[in-house]
Amino acid sequence: MTPTGHGSTVIELPNDRDVLITRELEAPIALVFDVLTKPEHVSKWFAGPGEEMKECSIDLRVGGNYHFVFVTEDGTEMSFRGTYLEVEPPTRTVETWLFEGRPDGDAIESQDLHEAHGVTTLTVKLAFSDAAGRPTRFEGMQESFDRIDDLVRSLLDPSGTVSG
Amino acid sequence: MARSSTTSDVFNAIAEAHRREILDTLIAGEKAVGAIVNDLSMSQPQVSKHLRVLSEVGLVSCRAEGRRRLYRLEPARLRPFHEWLAKYEQAWNDRLDRMDDYLKELQQRGEPQ
Repeated sequence: MTPTGHGSTVIELPNDRDVLITRELEAPIALVFDVLTKPEHVSKWFAGPGEEMKECSIDLRVGGNYHFVFVTEDGTEMSFRGTYLEVEPPTRTVETWLFEGRPDGDAIESQDLHEAHGVTTLTVKLAFSDAAGRPTRFEGMQESFDRIDDLVRSLLDPSGTVSG
Repeated sequence: MARSSTTSDVFNAIAEAHRREILDTLIAGEKAVGAIVNDLSMSQPQVSKHLRVLSEVGLVSCRAEGRRRLYRLEPARLRPFHEWLAKYEQAWNDRLDRMDDYLKELQQRGEPQ
């Protein structure tokens, strides 16, 4: 736990295509699942301060679509949309994930939940496709990346402390 | 006139696994092409080609010492990449913090699930 009372988010880049995000939440699994998959909940947390949620629709069934749009402070629209491929309450959803913005990106997103001792662990995996439109930025992240990034962090932050 | 390299050029340069291996081996310090070839399972022409790309975007610099050319890492050029990654991590962390706060709020209110 950090001083803010939050658990920390762990982001891993296991290969060229995948991004893995893990976060522990102190809430029962059923509630976390609802908060991830019901529009009346998602609209409360998806957009950040200064951002306005413009659309938040979820049709939670296999083949159903979701669409989230928020507008940033400078007026840029950020749109995320996709179709559910698997819906297994309260442990798992898999959906296509299309980010319409700059740069566009498309991926298969899976969200897995696991509860133990009152803590629910959320694991989000974004597997970017090989198709055109994959964000170039994700191509640079294989095993050697970690070492380079460690070096950069140490050079940019001579005290050796890394926040986050 | 050659256009100056951009952040996306740096992204592209480090997108190639062999080029990252070269950057990795240069972490230890300045090296001649021959030493890089020895370190990695790459041919000299391959190494030279990748060093050229890395030089063009400023990720490595080169100086002559006698007949040898020595290459060194310029890690400051990785800063935009580092900053991008930090922002990406921050965005996810912020979003999940908001979700965490909202979950706490719901539980305190005792709202039915």
